[in-house]
Amino acid sequence: MTQPATGAPLAGFTAVVSASGVAAAYAGRLLGVMGAQTILLEPPGGTPLRREPPFLDTEERAGALFAYLAAGARSFVADLTTEHGRTEARDLLAHADVFIDDTPLAERERQGIDQRAVAAQHPRLVHVSVLPFGASGPKAHWKGEEINILHACTEGQLMPNGLSQELFPDRPPVKIYGQFASMQGGIAAALGALSALWIRDTVGGQFVDIASQDAALAVSAFAVQRFGDGAVESRATRSFRYGGVLECANGHVELLTLEQHQWKGLVKLMGDPAWALDPALEDSLERSRRGAAINAYIRAWAKEQHVEDIVAGGQKLGVPLAKYSDAKDVLADPHERVRGLFAPVAIEGAGLCDMLVSPFHFGGKPLSLRGGPPVLGEYRNARRSKKAGADAW
Amino acid sequence: MVKPLAGIRIVDFTAHAAGPFCTHMLSQLGAECIKIESALRPDIFRKPHPVYGRMGPASFDQVASNKLSVRLNIKHPKGVALARRLVAVADAAAESFRPGVLSRLGLGYDALRAVKSDIIVLSVSSSGQTGPDSHFAGYAPLFGAWGALGTLSGYADGPPVEIRHVMDHTVGLNAAAAFLAALHHRKATGEGQHVDVSAREVASSLIGEALLLAAAGVEPRRIGNDHPRMAPHGVYPARGDDCWISIAVGTDAQWRALARIIERPELAEDVRFADAESRHANRAKLDPLIAAWTASRDADSTAELLQASGVAAHASWRAGDAVSDPHLRSRRAIVDVKEPDGRQRAAIGVPVRMSKCPDIGIASGTPKLGEHEDYVFGDLLGLSQTERRALEEEEVIY
Repeated sequence: MTQPATGAPLAGFTAVVSASGVAAAYAGRLLGVMGAQTILLEPPGGTPLRREPPFLDTEERAGALFAYLAAGARSFVADLTTEHGRTEARDLLAHADVFIDDTPLAERERQGIDQRAVAAQHPRLVHVSVLPFGASGPKAHWKGEEINILHACTEGQLMPNGLSQELFPDRPPVKIYGQFASMQGGIAAALGALSALWIRDTVGGQFVDIASQDAALAVSAFAVQRFGDGAVESRATRSFRYGGVLECANGHVELLTLEQHQWKGLVKLMGDPAWALDPALEDSLERSRRGAAINAYIRAWAKEQHVEDIVAGGQKLGVPLAKYSDAKDVLADPHERVRGLFAPVAIEGAGLCDMLVSPFHFGGKPLSLRGGPPVLGEYRNARRSKKAGADAW
Repeated sequence: MVKPLAGIRIVDFTAHAAGPFCTHMLSQLGAECIKIESALRPDIFRKPHPVYGRMGPASFDQVASNKLSVRLNIKHPKGVALARRLVAVADAAAESFRPGVLSRLGLGYDALRAVKSDIIVLSVSSSGQTGPDSHFAGYAPLFGAWGALGTLSGYADGPPVEIRHVMDHTVGLNAAAAFLAALHHRKATGEGQHVDVSAREVASSLIGEALLLAAAGVEPRRIGNDHPRMAPHGVYPARGDDCWISIAVGTDAQWRALARIIERPELAEDVRFADAESRHANRAKLDPLIAAWTASRDADSTAELLQASGVAAHASWRAGDAVSDPHLRSRRAIVDVKEPDGRQRAAIGVPVRMSKCPDIGIASGTPKLGEHEDYVFGDLLGLSQTERRALEEEEVIY
């Protein structure tokens, strides 16, 4: 199933990934799609991610999340609660450049994968710990699911805003879809792993401590800066004075005009209505003051429009307008087809499915996936039958 | 003091949020980032935008910290020539113009490769450097809209939701990882390259599982705070105005612990909630029971109580809670930065802790426009004071 990602920037590196959660697995995916050989180190029965819904098939064999996170990886099963399993894991790590692990701190020593043991056995290995709240600090042992991390990083409190907040002001905050905060931990882990690899020749391997909370907080930097400036962001007030989510005749669009020329383009797009030609509205401050009234006009106009018409027309005029695409739209988007955002991969139980590859192009070309998610333990079997190829140790 | 990217120099043409956040992260890891602006065209985020409903600049202080600042008018031919000289002594250039703009100015990848054969050029744009929509203008909420992340976020019965600045910064964090990969490639092959990061594709990459569902014929929909498996799972009211606590129960053991803590042990035996499947099917009945218990309780101490029994929980924090948190302070996820005017402010640290590089992070605050021209134009490029004055008069250094 594997094809070497020739020319990919991380070709030649090997990452062993022990992941029961999204963050560590996503770090492995990022390194893998950029060319590293990623090997999932799984317990007997496989990582719990394999059993996470929703599923792509009615028999619930092919989890969508696992398929996405593990695409292109190999799978090696070892029982780290036994001496034999720990020896096998040690052998696997001896041939790796990076070890990404989200085993809870309290269980690491028993499994022989705590910071001290790994450093002693593998002095050149970059050991990346990925936990919800990190490996140090008063909350290092805390549990954290996606929704907890979103609220621990301040962005959870601030969602939704704009139209949704206006419609449902008394509801609890609503989360960002999917695994947004956990994936920040994964991206930070990939960044940390690559940074440590970069100076490995100088300082040797080292321990990299990633907290999904830190990473999600980092991308929430805006709220932290605002606090430092003496203001507190709130979802009730964090709305654009005009624009934002607009309901159209056949869907929704997003409109955000920061610059004067963008406002002028919008006025033209709307057909130069009399209200918008008021000279006072030339001033961005005055527009901000009259935001609610302007928005009422814009919303009334938008409701009569078709999404595709105003996005195309607006972009021609330099007006930042985008369609709220659904998943099918993205899959079929001619722009993304040209850019090679998706590639068909084989998924056991679901057949051939188009999967997102990567948002990066290197050297003018999209990246490629080595394959779909691995069958549990296939790497050991491939080694036994000597089919693992050059990447077997 | 060891910083992993020490010795890496980046000429930073990025503006706004996504690109500058990327180079800010790289600067915290030790790279020397030289921010290019001009008085004619300062970074769009140096100035306020009233459409946001506030008059302070957005996140400029955060993302400009740690960088060197020079003035350079790259619309002037001599400015372009100077930019090329700077790139010739750098490892990389980063930019976030609309695709094609930098090439038209004579500073595209091919032009920069001509002055530095192994240069890495990192481009961050709304829709990527290629494809029919590559010219589209966009900001964070538009990336989320195009990429379907915003479409899928929100209440099940409500409209899509804007993904705000976290979207920009996620693009930046991704771009930083991609840049590191390109550096490794250069080390292995001696080759530089053009790295193209599409912001709307980053938004899509965060919902890869949903896109896969759609590819398999199942259209994913907005589900609010629901989880496909876990229940209870949500944001519950806590004591105080607009105070909330997030709770997620992933296992039967956690459920039994929660039932005991809320002094409703009979719920653990209730067939409606006996296993994960039953709890999920009956979550509409379950959530009010949890909310009734949390509503009169302090969010932080309740989270501690639940965590002590192995239940994942956390208060819904505002910025002030995070800024003063001992855990985040101990990890240097929150740090204090001293500005040149003596003002101190809270800022976020690069979200990476490295055992052999304890000093990564922010070393200097927001640079004044052109603050580091003695070093950059004088020391790096060898321009004399006379030459610099002449270029200022010509509005090249301007």
